[in-house]
Amino acid sequence: MRAARRWTRPKAEARSAVNTGQIISGAGHIGLIGWMMFGGWFTSRPLDFQVTEVTAVSYEEYAAIVSGAAVQDDAAEIAPPAPLEPEVPQDAPDLTSAADAAPETPMPDAAPETAPDPVPQPPAPLAEAEVSDEPPTMEQPAQDMAALVPDSALRPQQRPAERVAPQQVDPPEPDTAVDDVVREEAVPDEAAETPREEAEATAPEAAATEIVTEAEQPAPSGSVRPKARPNRPAPTPEPETQTAEAAPAPEPAPTPAPEPEPAPEPAPSADSGGIEDALAAALGAASETPAPAAPSAPAGPPLTSGEKDGMRIAVQNCWNVGSLSSDALATTVTVAFEMSQDAKPIDSTIRMIDSTGGSSGAAKQAYEAARRAIIRCGARGFALPVEKYASWRNVELTFNPENMRIK
Amino acid sequence: MMARFLAPRYLAPRFLALLALCTSVLGAPAVAQDGPLRLEITEGVIEPMPFAVPTFVPGGGTSGQVAQDISSLIAADLSGTGLFREIPASAHISRVTSFSSPVQFADWKAVNAQALVTGAVETDASGRLVVQFRVWDVFSGQELGNGQQFVGTAAGWRRIAHKIADQVYSRITGEGGYFDSRVVYVSETGPKDQRAKRLAIMDYDGANVSYLTDSSSLVLAPRFSPTGDRILYTSYESGFPRIYVLDVASVNRRSLPAQQGTMSFAPRFAPNGQTVVYSVESGGNTDIYTMDINSGAAQRLTSAPSIETAPSFSPDGSQIVFESDRTGRNQLYVMSAGGGEARRISNGEGNYGTPVWSPRGDLIAFTKQSKSRFHIGVMRTDGSEERLLTASFLDEGPTWAPNGRVIMFTRETQGAAGQAGLYSVDITGRNLRAVPTGGGASDPSWSPLQ
Repeated sequence: MRAARRWTRPKAEARSAVNTGQIISGAGHIGLIGWMMFGGWFTSRPLDFQVTEVTAVSYEEYAAIVSGAAVQDDAAEIAPPAPLEPEVPQDAPDLTSAADAAPETPMPDAAPETAPDPVPQPPAPLAEAEVSDEPPTMEQPAQDMAALVPDSALRPQQRPAERVAPQQVDPPEPDTAVDDVVREEAVPDEAAETPREEAEATAPEAAATEIVTEAEQPAPSGSVRPKARPNRPAPTPEPETQTAEAAPAPEPAPTPAPEPEPAPEPAPSADSGGIEDALAAALGAASETPAPAAPSAPAGPPLTSGEKDGMRIAVQNCWNVGSLSSDALATTVTVAFEMSQDAKPIDSTIRMIDSTGGSSGAAKQAYEAARRAIIRCGARGFALPVEKYASWRNVELTFNPENMRIK
Repeated sequence: MMARFLAPRYLAPRFLALLALCTSVLGAPAVAQDGPLRLEITEGVIEPMPFAVPTFVPGGGTSGQVAQDISSLIAADLSGTGLFREIPASAHISRVTSFSSPVQFADWKAVNAQALVTGAVETDASGRLVVQFRVWDVFSGQELGNGQQFVGTAAGWRRIAHKIADQVYSRITGEGGYFDSRVVYVSETGPKDQRAKRLAIMDYDGANVSYLTDSSSLVLAPRFSPTGDRILYTSYESGFPRIYVLDVASVNRRSLPAQQGTMSFAPRFAPNGQTVVYSVESGGNTDIYTMDINSGAAQRLTSAPSIETAPSFSPDGSQIVFESDRTGRNQLYVMSAGGGEARRISNGEGNYGTPVWSPRGDLIAFTKQSKSRFHIGVMRTDGSEERLLTASFLDEGPTWAPNGRVIMFTRETQGAAGQAGLYSVDITGRNLRAVPTGGGASDPSWSPLQ
């Protein structure tokens, strides 16, 4: 009994103390919430705003400004341009048509139309149309005009894949959603012991390993190629092409343009990764000196090469350098950040700790692209073992775009 | 014989010792990770960056249509680069109803928008448009640069939109834009054997076309001055090819001095805007000259018996790249701006021509004819890293965008009904697309940013 009494008294005292603590805590929280709601905690601070008074003038205004003339308010009221005072005395050239009537050099086809004209006529005053801000007024094409739209067979073909990635990815199935991970469609099965949720199939977006220009693609079949470069000052009809079009002769099979293909990049093989994993595991088991862990994190074995590669691949799949400038593509940045135990980057800790090869502006652009990659692909957490948290709690990623410059 | 048998026995301990040493050396970093996890990322992806431009918030008497037009044009400018991909409004979760409201980044992350442009359009007391905008990095939740505003006439809304797009482009990519620029080109009408040509000028995207000359005489190869206020071109107005300089504002023109009986053509301005480099054909020989546009003083730069033409200055004005057939085939050469010995920079098969120095100074664009096909390509200024970007029946005459990222050129289709048109392509070879001109067009020249 005494023993029981000894145990019940402290319990009652403890219960009283807990109640008091709860009351104090509750009052404190209520006060804190009230202060946050009514004390202006959520009032957003106005963002910096740079007001730049940039006046966008119309073309006629701009043209008048750069020429030193007065600004015209209405393009339609522009007076006929006064002839400019010739800045250079034109006594040397003789522009009379008599001297040029029989040039020794071949003349273009259009020349005979102008040559008989004894006095060169100045072009019609087109200033109104030139400086007008009105929508473009296109002339109606004559009946004998050539087609406005080029032959569809010669139109630029859509690139097979707009996305360039380290690994080639075939186009996904039509009903497949684009995602970073491959997932088969899941259909609810009521008969199954463990019901699974319905999910649509996902697959990565189609990608090529490098940019393929139009010149690097095989030549289109059936194309009649010119025999020689046309002489632009003297354009002449091309009877041979007409003949070829009228009676297309069987051409030899087009040979793909033998463009020098860059040597294939050594792709990381799965076998080597497995060997490295096994080697790392063996080395870890054979080692007598355990890896030092972070003071507040649980110690664990080091990351294997496969685990490191997994994170590296995850980040590089989100590292989009397509919109970077040439300077930024010549800049290597090292970005450090911390991760929570669910393997998600803590956004506020992301910072650039080093940059080489470019200006500060280029480093800023390169860092922003790297930060986007970390945040985007880390949003769902990287595939890292939690028991090795000490090994990946702090991360430093060096983004080296050297290989991407020659894609 | 004995040594042959003993050798493995002696080597075995050494091999094991070496293996142990390698094991200890290689194993140490994997076991004792004494700092942060360090990885090097050397591979990435190249794909258009998803962005969103929700319709700018109209206010102050501005119609919603104007706000819609400006927003759409900004999105079109960015999408047209091939570097960005617009997320359509139908996919937007958030509706921006106030320019000063906080951005709901979670909603934009949900639709995978990586960049966001918000803005507002108002009309001030004098009837001018006041357009404000901000650019956001959605995934970091940070603003790229500061908010900015442009003021202009209602009729100039396209220029305001182009200027905003230039700002957005610059803040994301780190390099200048090219949307607020114009292109002068040769407008072509009529059948191929009676084609009428005249100079035309338009916005970079094909809008606001207007004509600078009539079609009474053949015109060729217009070239903008570095300030965009003048245009050099070649005209047969006198019956002979001669170089003219045209003032864009007044459309007045005058011919440059030339010796009688010679043909002068292929002019380009020097970066100082006062010197013109061009070719002169005399007696079957073509050489390169420079001329002070004010004094008319000319200087001969080449004197080879071959054809030297298509000169183009480097951005710093110190060098000139040109084409020459002095070796029997057209190749590209670089010489000092004052003339002298030239060094050949093109070394591939085929013929090279119409070189143009990039405004950034790092690349030279050119036309190449090889295996009966024409290409537009780029190479380093020393001739290295040549890369062909296009291939067709006839591609020629490249011109650089003001930021040196995009090339516009002429593509002509084959046959009697063949038509010349303008195309543009990124220097990576991506984003090849036709430029709308409403008719036949050739010989483009891109202006500087206005």
